[in-house]
Amino acid sequence: MLVLRPARHSDMPGIERLAAESPVGVTSLPANSDTLYKKVQASLDSLTADVSFYGEESYFFVLEETETGELAGLSGIVASAGYNEPFYSYRNETLIHASPVLGIHSKIHALSLCHDLTGKTLLTSYYVEPSLRFSRGSDLLSRGRLLFIAQWPERFADGVVSEMVGVARDDGSSPFWDAIGQIFFGIEYHEAEYYCGVKGRKFIAELMPQHPLYVPLLGDEAQAAMGQVGPASTVPYDVLTREGFETENYIDIFDGGPTLHAATRGIRTIAQSRLVKIVDGTEGGPAWIMASTELDDYRATVVDAEVTDRGIGLTAAVRDAMGLAIGDVVRIAPL
Amino acid sequence: MLVRSIRQNDLAALLHLASNVGVGVTTLPVNEERLGKRIAASLASQAAGADALPDTAESSFLFAMEDPGTGQVAGICGIEGSVGLGEPWYNYRVGVSVRTSTEINVYRRHETLFLCNDLTGAAELCSLFLHPDWRRDNNGSLLSKSRLLFMAEFPKRFNPRVIAELRGVSDADGRSPFWESLGRHFFKMDFSQADYLTGIGQKSFIAELMPQHPVYTTFLSEEARAVIGEVHEGTRPARVMLEGEGFRYNGYVDIFDAGPTLQAHLPEIRAIRKSAVFTAKSADTTKGQSWLVSNRSLTDFRVCLAQTEPTPNGLPLTAEVLSRLDVEAGASVRAVPLSARS
Repeated sequence: MLVLRPARHSDMPGIERLAAESPVGVTSLPANSDTLYKKVQASLDSLTADVSFYGEESYFFVLEETETGELAGLSGIVASAGYNEPFYSYRNETLIHASPVLGIHSKIHALSLCHDLTGKTLLTSYYVEPSLRFSRGSDLLSRGRLLFIAQWPERFADGVVSEMVGVARDDGSSPFWDAIGQIFFGIEYHEAEYYCGVKGRKFIAELMPQHPLYVPLLGDEAQAAMGQVGPASTVPYDVLTREGFETENYIDIFDGGPTLHAATRGIRTIAQSRLVKIVDGTEGGPAWIMASTELDDYRATVVDAEVTDRGIGLTAAVRDAMGLAIGDVVRIAPL
Repeated sequence: MLVRSIRQNDLAALLHLASNVGVGVTTLPVNEERLGKRIAASLASQAAGADALPDTAESSFLFAMEDPGTGQVAGICGIEGSVGLGEPWYNYRVGVSVRTSTEINVYRRHETLFLCNDLTGAAELCSLFLHPDWRRDNNGSLLSKSRLLFMAEFPKRFNPRVIAELRGVSDADGRSPFWESLGRHFFKMDFSQADYLTGIGQKSFIAELMPQHPVYTTFLSEEARAVIGEVHEGTRPARVMLEGEGFRYNGYVDIFDAGPTLQAHLPEIRAIRKSAVFTAKSADTTKGQSWLVSNRSLTDFRVCLAQTEPTPNGLPLTAEVLSRLDVEAGASVRAVPLSARS
């Protein structure tokens, strides 16, 4: 059975293997033990922290095949994007250039550097093994986080965002970066990613254009890349758009990939989730994403089960694999 | 040739003249209503201020060049006392934005176009057009510089900051690379159409459709960047002439074709600063360098060229010149050598 749970130190070998497999564009999963170890530690610290108002916490999850103990995916939540420094995006603004006298009405787009999404909760670090792409497992890996947010809303913002990796050329270079980033930073895409990792994001504020960029003036290749999702993010993009995330308005300042956003309460899994008691049951029934409600032992999985007024009917095998007992309360949402 | 104040009955000749103007001289459109209004404004300006000096915003003068033999109109030029006081006057200021990061040791300098109204209020030399058949024998210089003598004579009617917009680069089909790379994106219209609308007084409508945010020129085509602040081939002599009079390009360009707007401080313009008042002296023949000579009339201002040299008694002028200026010997005239070299 596939189970999503918070990462532990003992998961490090599996985490490192998956991070190394993950594409270059997923910058929150660098192939760097130190960084990954710190992510696990930060997550453990956050789970035990007494949070009265969300802030610098972050949560890091693994997808585990319980029969083998093998890890099959990674995902994370940052409680507040840009907690220490601004979270930069381009806002794709619409400007109307109209003149009734001349009978002209044009809609022009311009990219404005903004901090609009600073402080929103960020879904990040998503990587699922290729064999599980577009499966229940890939849904669980993403949406298990949403049940976590639903259960402890005080730990998260009223809005959730997620950055999708943008499109790259065959050689790994980014057409969007070459059209804009290269001009303002004077460095290559991979160098910029590197500096972001080691120097923080101050240099972005220092070098990025202060004035909006008119989209029609960008090259065709860069315009085509705006808001496009690269192969690395097609799975989370699919999951999150089904959840009702908006794909318009914000794009990544480096590669032009879309930054999805939604009001927390309006996210489908969160809005449709509810608490039910576990009762004894048999196999089969509608599919649910189901999560425990214990912060120190959070687990989420997908089950086929009948839900009645009495509660959700689970077999002993499922209850055991999840470490749950009859009478426990779980949070469920339709798959 | 003679340059003189415009008259009511010049309209037909001017319309004929205007139909010969290429794209880029936005102040002389082939539009009867517009031209008629400009003539009326000039006549009003000529009549204004007998008692009290009018506001510079009220000053709008047109002058015609005519063949004194036939009375045929060959060219036109004008001066506005102050631009941009009725509707906004737009330019791009070619500026620079610098961004640096000491942390990653990067210094970036970006040429940036800022939409501005900085030149609001300035006086403008405008509407210069000389029919191709008459582009010879210093006629172009006479036509253009005749205005400077008028300004020297009536300086209070003009804002001391004087500008001249020069036609930017466009090809034989009227296609402007700057327009194609910038303006075109903001509304689907040919440069020639925008140019025409500008001429009939709708420039501010178009300007409001132009990008209001600063534009980094790095996003323009190479062709477009190359013509920022550059003049049309046919306008090069005009640029050289104005620069000889002390006009300078200070980074202001036209928002449509990026042609340069040159600037000068009125009292420092050579033909104004060096001009002097002389007593006209009748002479059978005169010789010397080319001088611009004008009468001193607000309502019937006249300028022509004379080959002469001042003497302690006055400025020797032939009967023909005196007649062109419509003055008698002994009258007071204003004169300045046509060009700086002498």
